[in-house]
Amino acid sequence: MTKLKEKLSFFHVMILTYMIQTGVVVFSITHLEALHFGTNGWLMALFTSLVVLVNLMLIAIVHRMSNGRSIFEILEKSIPKFILFPIYLGLAALWSMIGCLVAKEYVLIFQMYAFPTTSPMVFKVAIDILAFLLVIKGVYNISKASTVFFFSTIWMNLLVFKALDDIKLERLTTFLFKEGGDMFTGFLNIYIAYIGYELSLLLFPYVNKKTKLMKAVMYGHLIRTFFYLMLGIVSYGIAGHNLLKKMLFPLLDLLAYIKLPFIERVENLFYGFFLFTTLITLVMYYWAAGESTLRIFPKLKSSVHYFVIILCSLIVSTVPVALDQVLRVLYLLGCAQIVIAFLLPVILILLLLIQRRKVVKHG
Amino acid sequence: MMGILTSMLRKVLFNPLNETNKDQDHNHNEDKPEQNASADLQHILDQFKRSADLIHHRYPREGLDVIYFSHMINEDKLQRDLLPPLLAAPAADIILNEQSQFQQVQNAKDCVTGILSGNAAIFYNNVAYLADVTLPASRSVEESESESIINGPHEAFNENALTNLSLIRKRVRSSHLKVIHLSVGEISKTDCYVLYMEDIANEDYLSELIRRIKNVEIDAIHDTNMLLQCIDDNPYSMFPQYMTTERPDTIASKLVSGKIVCLVDGSPSLLSAPSSFFEFFASADDYYQRWAIGTATLFLRFMALVITVTFTALYVSITSFHYEMIPENLILTLTTSRSRVPFPPIIEALLMETTIELLREAGARLPTKIGQTIGIVGGIVIGQAAVQAGLTSNVLIISVASSAIASFVIPSYIMSAAFRLFRFGLICLAGLWGNLGLVIGIAYMVIHLSGLTSLGSSYLTPVAPFQPYDWRDVFFRFPFRLLNRRPTQNRAQNKTRQKMKR
Repeated sequence: MTKLKEKLSFFHVMILTYMIQTGVVVFSITHLEALHFGTNGWLMALFTSLVVLVNLMLIAIVHRMSNGRSIFEILEKSIPKFILFPIYLGLAALWSMIGCLVAKEYVLIFQMYAFPTTSPMVFKVAIDILAFLLVIKGVYNISKASTVFFFSTIWMNLLVFKALDDIKLERLTTFLFKEGGDMFTGFLNIYIAYIGYELSLLLFPYVNKKTKLMKAVMYGHLIRTFFYLMLGIVSYGIAGHNLLKKMLFPLLDLLAYIKLPFIERVENLFYGFFLFTTLITLVMYYWAAGESTLRIFPKLKSSVHYFVIILCSLIVSTVPVALDQVLRVLYLLGCAQIVIAFLLPVILILLLLIQRRKVVKHG
Repeated sequence: MMGILTSMLRKVLFNPLNETNKDQDHNHNEDKPEQNASADLQHILDQFKRSADLIHHRYPREGLDVIYFSHMINEDKLQRDLLPPLLAAPAADIILNEQSQFQQVQNAKDCVTGILSGNAAIFYNNVAYLADVTLPASRSVEESESESIINGPHEAFNENALTNLSLIRKRVRSSHLKVIHLSVGEISKTDCYVLYMEDIANEDYLSELIRRIKNVEIDAIHDTNMLLQCIDDNPYSMFPQYMTTERPDTIASKLVSGKIVCLVDGSPSLLSAPSSFFEFFASADDYYQRWAIGTATLFLRFMALVITVTFTALYVSITSFHYEMIPENLILTLTTSRSRVPFPPIIEALLMETTIELLREAGARLPTKIGQTIGIVGGIVIGQAAVQAGLTSNVLIISVASSAIASFVIPSYIMSAAFRLFRFGLICLAGLWGNLGLVIGIAYMVIHLSGLTSLGSSYLTPVAPFQPYDWRDVFFRFPFRLLNRRPTQNRAQNKTRQKMKR
């Protein structure tokens, strides 16, 4: 039986978007909100989410105009390949580095809690092997795995309610964005927390009309927004903005708060569960990198692509050693990704308009 | 030398250019010389040279020769019903050609196969006829040892395919139940029957399963579990991809739900395809209980899965690396219990897990009476002596024992064995990297499972692809009036199962 090329379903795309967006920033987002926006900084998650929705609208226009063609096909129709190939390589490098450094940050945070003496690269290699095993199975199986991971992590969002009794509304204060810092940097930082939805640009060939791709991506994004807001309110209600500024990873501190009769300090274990969401994030970025290099070397097997991509990014990721360095590089890469998230759809829309005009002329 | 290297490298790195479907070309090598030979008496007797158990009766006056294996046929029927009219008739070939119980065979191969599968061959004027008088040796229908339940039918399949077929036909009295006969094993030529419900079962699955069974090239098949490993999608996986059962009621329910069933002669277990991972956690009992109890039992089983996979590994991880996770009043108990143990937790855990596995294996191979002794000896050795000798801690015994018990809660023995093996890997990872190792192991399992397929359909249905309606019958056991559709994975032609309005 010829294996059916299964298309992603609505639910899968929704979950996948949520899972790509949930990376490592989730641990520190409330800290960033407090640091840059001060009082009631959690509201920024909402405002930023609205900007993301604008970006999603751009992508939706591309999707509607493309008629299911992949963005690479659209690009290659109008731009010569010798210009495109360096761009593809650049995109692949960017995406693979984002994926790789997300994993590195995850490992470094874990090291703060346990195994301070083991080399972080040991864990990094283990996670990369997992990523390789998943990414070679293709995007459909990635989405299947992400659904299972989703169900095994989503309940953790509800754990914050355990701290419901300790929320004091007066800690939220009546002021808006006072005692903050550099707001623009803050905005970028929070925007980076939402990064990941733009990979839906690459999903065009893997969906059909029934998927309702953009609606699914939007819902996934809204789930993420909802949980960011919930986390923000609870963190601000428990700790207040002054304390949040001092906590590096407020989510983990929040989890450390939970005590069960026969187990406590569960943040250690639950932090492990965040490997699932991080894994999907890095796998999808590796996948995206592979998609673009596959355009340059279509004859090579996809597993070879992924192997080379993961190996190269692994080697590069040995350079930043401290958590601080990783955070700084990730911030820069994230900013670049934001630019691409806006620029790429705009270019694609322009190209599609030109192509459409040509068709009309010839027709 | 370089040429070989480059061609190997090319094979590893590049996509194959023109993929010809090699599977299609696999023809069974059936062109043996005997196929073309005519079925004359001397040739057949030559084929069965040195077969002491072959019976050859000659009736020279009537010109008849009868050949058969006495232990495979109903001799009574042959001697009393079939032969007398032939011997009495003036010319036997009139009866032989007229009556449908005698089948004329053209070539020697069919004749030999016929005799081997329990027919009597009758030769008249050097023309061969087969008469079906099969009576194979078999045990009677008994209770299932491996899948016993409390409520509901207790009968189980046995090793005789025809008995099994009759058990199924008795439960599914529909002319839509179709049976296709195949044979597997180049030497053993084992009978294999594919059963499905016409107008319900998916035709693609059916043709795919039949194609796979026809493509099996092996000398002999001795059990369904052996056949299914030859026809599953991922032969290297640890997990079973088709469900097998010994229970006729389960098989009947699989058939009417649109699955395809395969029955191998000589094996009491039948496989049903396609199967999903979660199907292995259901038991027939769930449907014979009230729905609430069935649902609670299902929850219990999935909890057992979590316990059996994680308990010991979590113990190793916490006592090796994350002592802060133990509450203050529990830590005193734990340190007292661990204070005399000279090994690191991972050695301690592996030691006890291995002992439990030894006990289980010994108990499974021994007759029941000695098996009990093993249980008592094991109970005392593990429960008391190991702790008193200071080899292990009490807490570990509890976690090892509860994960062992939990592993037997999983109804499918093959699935529970897969998880018991997987547990060892998880314990090692937890001993190496603590909680992160544990999570890496679980992530690996999920990645592996999400890549698996059963007959081309997703192994993780109804979680991925997400089918919320199916959850009613997989993670819960809703009342029957709410279970109106057949499982999505079966892609049944008729999706509605019932229209009961009550």
